[in-house]
Amino acid sequence: MAKPGNSNKKSLDPAVNQMLEKARKENIQTVWDRYEVMLPQCGFGDTGLCCRHCLQGPCRIDPFGDGPKTGICGATADVMVARGLDRAIAAGTAAHSGHAKHLAHTLMKMSLDKTRDYQIKDEVKLKAVSTRMGIPVDGRLAKDIAKDLAQAALADFHEKETPVMWAATVVPEKRVAVLKKHGLVPKGIDHEISEIMHRTLYGVDADPVNLLLAGLRCGVADLAGCYMGTDLADILFGTPSPVTSEANLGTLKKDWVNIALHGHNPVLSDILVSVAREKQGMAISKGAKGFNLVGICCTGNEIMMRHGIPSCTHSVSQETAILTGAVDLMVVDYQCIMPSVATVAQCMGTQVLTTMDLCKITGADHMNFAEEEAVLKAEEILAMAAGNFAKRKGKPVEIPEVKTPVVAGFSVEAIVAALSKLDEKEPLKPVVDHLKAGNIRGVCLYAGCNNVKVPQDENFVIMARKMLKENVLILATGCGAGALMRHGLMDPANVNACCGDGIKAVLTAIGEANGLGGPLPPVLHMGSCVDNSRAVALTVALANYLGVDTSSLPVVASAAEAVSEKAVSIGAYAVAAGLPTHVGVMLPVMGSPLVVDVLTKTVKDLTGGYFIVDLDPESAADKLLAAIDERRKGLGL
Amino acid sequence: MDQVKEIFLRKNRCMGCHSCELACAVAHSASKNMYEAMGEVPLPKNRVYVEAVSENLPIPVLCRHCEDAPCMHACIAGAIRRMEDHSLFTDADKCIGCWTCVMVCPYGVIGRHLDAQKAYRCDRCPDLEEPACVSACPTKALVYQSVTTFSKDKRRHAAEELSRGEGK
Amino acid sequence: MAGHLNHVVIGASAAGLSAACAILKTTPRARVRVVSEEKDAPYFRPMIPFIISGKKGSSDVKMVGQGPYVQEGFELFTNTRVTRVDAGQKRVITDSGQIVSYDRLLIASGGKPYLPPEIEGVDVEGVYALRTLSQARAAAKRSSNVTHAVMLGGGLLNLKAAFSLLEKGLEVTLVVYSPEILSQLMEPEDAVMIRNALEQAGLKIMTGCSARKIVDGSKGVCSVVLDDNREIACEMVFIGKGVRPCVDFLGDSGIEIDSGVVVDRYTKSSMNDIFAAGDVAVTFDPITGERIVTGLWTNAAEMGTCAGKNMAGCPTAYSGTFGVMNATQVAGLPFVSMGVVHPGNNEHEIHKNISDTSYRKLVFSKDGNYLLGLVMIGDIKNAGLYRFIMREQRNIRFLKEKIIGQSLTSADVMYG
Repeated sequence: MAKPGNSNKKSLDPAVNQMLEKARKENIQTVWDRYEVMLPQCGFGDTGLCCRHCLQGPCRIDPFGDGPKTGICGATADVMVARGLDRAIAAGTAAHSGHAKHLAHTLMKMSLDKTRDYQIKDEVKLKAVSTRMGIPVDGRLAKDIAKDLAQAALADFHEKETPVMWAATVVPEKRVAVLKKHGLVPKGIDHEISEIMHRTLYGVDADPVNLLLAGLRCGVADLAGCYMGTDLADILFGTPSPVTSEANLGTLKKDWVNIALHGHNPVLSDILVSVAREKQGMAISKGAKGFNLVGICCTGNEIMMRHGIPSCTHSVSQETAILTGAVDLMVVDYQCIMPSVATVAQCMGTQVLTTMDLCKITGADHMNFAEEEAVLKAEEILAMAAGNFAKRKGKPVEIPEVKTPVVAGFSVEAIVAALSKLDEKEPLKPVVDHLKAGNIRGVCLYAGCNNVKVPQDENFVIMARKMLKENVLILATGCGAGALMRHGLMDPANVNACCGDGIKAVLTAIGEANGLGGPLPPVLHMGSCVDNSRAVALTVALANYLGVDTSSLPVVASAAEAVSEKAVSIGAYAVAAGLPTHVGVMLPVMGSPLVVDVLTKTVKDLTGGYFIVDLDPESAADKLLAAIDERRKGLGL
Repeated sequence: MDQVKEIFLRKNRCMGCHSCELACAVAHSASKNMYEAMGEVPLPKNRVYVEAVSENLPIPVLCRHCEDAPCMHACIAGAIRRMEDHSLFTDADKCIGCWTCVMVCPYGVIGRHLDAQKAYRCDRCPDLEEPACVSACPTKALVYQSVTTFSKDKRRHAAEELSRGEGK
Repeated sequence: MAGHLNHVVIGASAAGLSAACAILKTTPRARVRVVSEEKDAPYFRPMIPFIISGKKGSSDVKMVGQGPYVQEGFELFTNTRVTRVDAGQKRVITDSGQIVSYDRLLIASGGKPYLPPEIEGVDVEGVYALRTLSQARAAAKRSSNVTHAVMLGGGLLNLKAAFSLLEKGLEVTLVVYSPEILSQLMEPEDAVMIRNALEQAGLKIMTGCSARKIVDGSKGVCSVVLDDNREIACEMVFIGKGVRPCVDFLGDSGIEIDSGVVVDRYTKSSMNDIFAAGDVAVTFDPITGERIVTGLWTNAAEMGTCAGKNMAGCPTAYSGTFGVMNATQVAGLPFVSMGVVHPGNNEHEIHKNISDTSYRKLVFSKDGNYLLGLVMIGDIKNAGLYRFIMREQRNIRFLKEKIIGQSLTSADVMYG
């Protein structure tokens, strides 16, 4: 009865398995142990058939029909499931846009001189984004433009005259028309989140289709939050360009002060990277060879993309970084930080430092980070880590000797710049030509997390390898990128072994035109999970170049091992943008055949996009390839 | 006289919600009240266990009160006896915690109270109209019936399915 | 006419009483006479360490009317020893010369403690080879007035008795010839956790040495002299060197004896209408197929029930038992040991899982597809499931991950 593709192993990553063996010996619980204890998980929650939205509940609907057929209020299975899904989308949207709002406030503080620790690193992008937002740029000081842009960003959160600009101005005209037609244009990011909470309240919306449309609209608001997050981070910290780095636990170094930066936002981590580079003396004075910063999850992606900081591990295996005993300080901001890191850290004598007031963890230390004194706080953190090193020095550590080379940094700007070496006037033309010639069969974005229910990385690796052989151009973000990089798929040396002839030729042509003396890596790393916006931007650029809507392009997406509600909201906007979107774990919707039907079929008539839920990576890849081929056919290719 | 009732399992119905476990623990608590039971010392123990054949197939297991009960014969203290309703009863006063019953129970359904060093098991809730786990089961995967009624129901279901052409 | 058959049962412990109850349950009108050489009414023999500690009195451990022994209607003759079985005439002769005829006879005479001939002075006052309730009462009495006991032998009975004495405040020294305690139930390295717990609880353990002589003083035993001539002062000695089947009265009966009474799959001896069960019987290990005699209450009760059914005309095959099988808790540490636990060669696949609080050894067949034995210490959850799959000799290829990962559930075994 084992699920397809689900073997007994915990992770495909040998470094992770080595640490899990250590945990077993030392009797330290990890996420895999807690999952075992949790089994079997409740079928009502699993199928979306339980509701706790009011105090008359909790309610459960019996899918076998002997028990209750509706909730106490009369909500049907369809309503219950749709409401639950909506709330997940709202939560994901709140997280991405909260991240963006944090950057908007930072940009604002910088422009008002409330902090001197941040600068505009990419003025070209500042002007381009501002122009898109209708903010005048000619002859103005960058700081003044930045203030207007920060204001425009903050304005996008509430209901106002205009729709959410970071949604309406980032997709093709044709897509805007489709969204308008179905009432899917968000009025304000926070407004959509709030409205979801309103309509899913006890006794409000009880029409499952109406609920799902609201969920999709909130998904579009999530796209805005992500897009804004990417734009503002690029302006403040620089737009990524290709950079070499390394990944996996082998990037920790015994004799160095190891600081693991975990979470999502570059606001603190980017400052830490630059201060650490200047203040190596602090580490050396404690007997270390220097500071060794490594990333975990999307904070890791942010600083890898911009600075080549190595990623030490991702998502479900975050505890293994601490299990090495070599981490002197784990600095976290927010999102995807399992509270258990503090527990494992206590077992290993590691310090965990929370830095944001909205994310404190019992058992961790807290220091509230403020942009006004970013460098000062960064120095305090470095001193803390160096002090911890002095205590750790000489004690045994177990660092798996596993790491892979990575080439990352593929922002849309970087990709276009690379392509312009092939065709200066029309940089997208080579891509379109290769698409037409079939050297690029289509494009697939891998995003999302690692889920304990799937042997870590297995779905990503099986699917990506299969699609590379089929000449699909692979993009990756978030912990999907983390998975693929730890298995060598961001190492150009593996292009020959992994890629079909067509995509191999494309990657090689671009690489050589850019003087790399070889191909680009098999998978292009586009950044953190907010940077899924980069994949949308690339799709939109291609659509605009071809004069078609995004839903016509052979572009697909996959959250093959999703965990977070953020993955659900990203899925919602991918579908709203017209993409066939695979999810490799079960969404809590199976209790409503109607909702399943809408998400996987009916919605296609509205947006062109739809969900594919398939737990078997082999057949999921086949379905995505079929979706790509269907679209190629639609374009007459 | 009424026929003796037993707890039967309709195994494909179990959703793995663990509601039976909660209800069992509460029924064997001092307060018989969920909120209070959660704070009792010692914590009440459930005697039904929702286990998984695979991740997707949960199954509640509990003492079957075997006809030829290995635990009763194995007990070195004479602490296990059969009650009038044919159920087996572990007398905590006599139990010495040697765990021989645990060693011989082929269903793994005898619990161990480690602090008290006493074994415990399902007692079919003698003070309740039907066992708490049965009442708590939202999908009626657990039923409390006589052997005759249970088999009659099973036959009727099978016949219905056959007449709908769903039989295999 | 099976209902009126005349049954005689020699021995009134687990096997004998289980058989008597099973006969009467199957054929309520049968005549069942149970003969016991002990003066006491039947009692739960494994409880005698609790008599020593004083936690239980004689009346707390009586069998009749308790647990499964609730069948009424058998006649019980205590203080009666059978001296001869006349299989030809289908009768037994007792020590008082009484002649009791039978249609069917069960030999459930149990075992008697083994007293190693190389130890001098085993008959000195204060030396016990603990087997009966009356011995336990005597030991309990003496233990209330002395300060130091020496236990010879590292088996379970001695450990339990040692604990009872520790609880009463005695200083207790355990002398074990084997390199480690519990050598019958596990390998030396398996026993380390238990040994540590015992020592922490105050037991003094001396391994690799044995007693040569028990010295008689003015008030009974005063010391034990070891083979290396060390002398330990003490006022009590317990010899726990295992038991041997009680077959001395069967000498001229014609019944096949191979250390114990040899029986077939249906618990019948080599003579018609004579059955045997319990510690006196030679049974077999379903895993190794070897002939074994065991000294375990649980086995005796199970085999006795089986024999009773066979005698009552309801043929019931006995499925044998593991040569090694035991569960208990000593020094706060529960443990289970069963099946092949001394895998001495390379013919097995062995998995160990050791943590601070638990120890687990799994012995699989060479091809890895069958579970043959296990030792669980600390955490004995679901031990019965493993016994079940071992006894059934089930191919566990698909359950192996779960067995090794300690996540095997009843549901896996029943429905997997």
